[in-house]
Amino acid sequence: MQRRDFLKNSGLVSGALLVPGFLKAFDGLPSLITGNKKLVIIQLSGGNDGLNTLVQYHNDVYYRQRNAIALKKNNLLHITDEIGFHESLSSFKSLYDEGYVSIINNVGYPNPSRSHFRSTDIWHTASDSNEYSKTGWVGRYLEQVSKNPLGAIEVDDSLSLLMKGKTINGIATKDAKLFYKTARDPYFSKVIDEYENTHLSEHNLGYLYKTVIDAKSSASYIYEKTKTYKTRQEYPKNSFGKQLGTISEFINSGLKTQIFYASLGGFDTHANQLNAQKRLLKAYSEGITSFVKDLKSTGALKDTVVLTFSEFGRRLKQNAANGTDHGAANLVFLMGENLKHPGIYNAPANLVDLDANGDIKYEVDFRDIYASLLQEWLKTDPSRILNGRYKTLGLV
Amino acid sequence: MKKSHIQHLYNRAGFGILPNTINGLSGLSKARVVKALFDSSKKIDELKIATPEIDAYIAGLPEKKDPRVFRKLVKDSRRKLVLYNGMWIKRMAETKQDLRERMVLFWSNHFVVRTRNILFAQKFNNTLRKHALGDFREFVIAISKEPAMLDYLNNQQNRKNSPNENFARELMELFTLGEGNYSEKDIKESARAFTGWSHNFKGDYVLRKRQHDFGEKEFMGKTGNFDGGDIIQIILEQPQCAEFICKKIYLHFVNDTMYEPHIKELAKVFRKQYDITAVMEYIFLSDWFYEKKNIGNKIKSPADFLVGLQKTIPFTLEKPNQLIYVERLLGQVLLEPPNVAGWAEGRNWIDANTMMVRLKLPSVLYKDGTIAFDVKGEFEDDFEEFNKKNNLSRRLPATKKWSVFNENYGFLSYRDLASYILNGVMNEGTKTFLETLEKTSKQEFCIQLMSLPEYQLC
Repeated sequence: MQRRDFLKNSGLVSGALLVPGFLKAFDGLPSLITGNKKLVIIQLSGGNDGLNTLVQYHNDVYYRQRNAIALKKNNLLHITDEIGFHESLSSFKSLYDEGYVSIINNVGYPNPSRSHFRSTDIWHTASDSNEYSKTGWVGRYLEQVSKNPLGAIEVDDSLSLLMKGKTINGIATKDAKLFYKTARDPYFSKVIDEYENTHLSEHNLGYLYKTVIDAKSSASYIYEKTKTYKTRQEYPKNSFGKQLGTISEFINSGLKTQIFYASLGGFDTHANQLNAQKRLLKAYSEGITSFVKDLKSTGALKDTVVLTFSEFGRRLKQNAANGTDHGAANLVFLMGENLKHPGIYNAPANLVDLDANGDIKYEVDFRDIYASLLQEWLKTDPSRILNGRYKTLGLV
Repeated sequence: MKKSHIQHLYNRAGFGILPNTINGLSGLSKARVVKALFDSSKKIDELKIATPEIDAYIAGLPEKKDPRVFRKLVKDSRRKLVLYNGMWIKRMAETKQDLRERMVLFWSNHFVVRTRNILFAQKFNNTLRKHALGDFREFVIAISKEPAMLDYLNNQQNRKNSPNENFARELMELFTLGEGNYSEKDIKESARAFTGWSHNFKGDYVLRKRQHDFGEKEFMGKTGNFDGGDIIQIILEQPQCAEFICKKIYLHFVNDTMYEPHIKELAKVFRKQYDITAVMEYIFLSDWFYEKKNIGNKIKSPADFLVGLQKTIPFTLEKPNQLIYVERLLGQVLLEPPNVAGWAEGRNWIDANTMMVRLKLPSVLYKDGTIAFDVKGEFEDDFEEFNKKNNLSRRLPATKKWSVFNENYGFLSYRDLASYILNGVMNEGTKTFLETLEKTSKQEFCIQLMSLPEYQLC
């Protein structure tokens, strides 16, 4: 087989191989992306305690079950006569008051897993709780729609299952310059120089070389596109603030990447929950508020939606160590300018109708939220990406 | 037997082979070489770590548990798991029981468990070792009674009055039959048969009679007062079982693209007695195992990659936790599988980040290079200290035993060295590239070979 025929037949023809110049890495590729909508996914890792995030301060059951860790009415940021935010969420509450936030209560799935790993997998793959998928739903979006690794970026140094497709994986980087420097290691370049003429005909070997080339051209693309843009917004000086600042720079500098993922860890509060959660929610609130303001000021907010979830909520009844154990259904936040239901989407958790473990029952399947975002925001058919039919909820 | 075939055999059935060992075997027939491989794996050499504090606690099990002591032991257990991980890597690199240790690694990604208890992790690992080449039926029964498994798949909560189906489901879906080869009713009925299968604090199996359902069950068309062992027996009578296991063996040992006729051949052999040795022997004696398309085309798992480095140029990192850091960047922390389905192999190991780590790691370990990636800890900040260091000044100081390399590889020509290290996976282009490299030191040259995409294959 002639090399050119091989290229045509192998699908490699569209890569950076025949189109030298890293800027072509994305711009030159066919994709099915419609519009320029961005989706930012934030995971509060470890299982955020939703019941102490949005507190039912008139509910006796809440105070009875949590005598040591229940938050007092006077310390909360009231949004109705019944419920109020944790005191750390003050800047977040301002966004809420201005209509930039939707809160969806009681989100989960049937037969919930209480393992961090398993439940994170389930949220990442959009699978049922007894099903093991090797691809994430964003990975499948890359495969079906973006057709390019650069369609989604995880702002971290290693790639989560969320971002993995069968043949295309997203890119993980939290520092475009460092990623670029690593990929530009002179040794890599020399290795790839020999590629075009020699390695294409080999099956797995070709795949390995293609991955190196993709890494290099993606790193160049991200770096070159973003290096001159610097955000003017101040972000909190912690790693979450830094991650959000990076996402803002990626969006505002015109990267075509549509989906971004970052996580804020530490929510596994089995012991002495009060201090830990106070600190973490503050980091979340201040970071996300800077981010929304930043995008608002550049006009990018109208094209951006932020989804915040946690792999599970926590048990209503506190434990002996003034903490809470792994629970089930939990809150999800959506943020943006285009929300159909700013405010509270559905009633907060029913604290007397719990499951056998004493956990909140789910009412909204998390995959219905994904389906809505895919259909209503990213304008693509969700059934191709979620394995099954989920309903859309009219969220954005 | 051809030298390249001997190397292929040992790459797949073990963790590679040294040049001199190949030379020693190369005059022999295939039957003799394969027999030697199996003979050397007859011994079962347990992998043990000393746990005096935990042992003492269990031996003198106090009536009232002191939570502080208990928390300290949990921490101790975590530390020991980190050490055990390193010992396992080392074992694979140094073993004389190549095939047995390879099978242990294989089975650990088939019968998947995860536990924070070092005693249970160790016991499970050695149960894999014991049955790795034995009778598959006994193997399945043994893993079903392991404390790590009983905990991981919630059989501790599987009681007569409130059955938990988790173990029964995975037993069929992942361990024996594969999806679609059983009904929901089969799951319900078999879950009843495993009720009361439990373990005590020490980790010994116990049948809790009051929680066991002694009633009649209807399973896969049969009716009787089945217990777990009977259920496993009936499962093994299904032809799908042998096929399911042989498919997995084929994908791991032969090629990551399926070839049905060969899998059917294997299943026929396996079904006779469910003798694992018989089916493995059949593979390694077959002609098709040595066909060109099956050689040098498998992507190494991170464990294989690390064991290979360790075997060629033995290294020890300054702190045990650094090995976990490296494994995490590569995408496979031994003893911490992502879920009960285990790691997805083949191309699933490779993405832009893991690939860059793979190409960089040899120079980081052996040439004091830097590595600029952070790693996610679990849910506590395991790597906080490491992550906060300046990215460009992060090193992984390791002591290297170059003497071992010099002894095993020093006498080879540059050309032969390349051929051994890359398992013969090298075409004209790579050869041209290698010629451009400076050949002033074999050590340097070897590091460069290990930094090639070709080195990711075996």
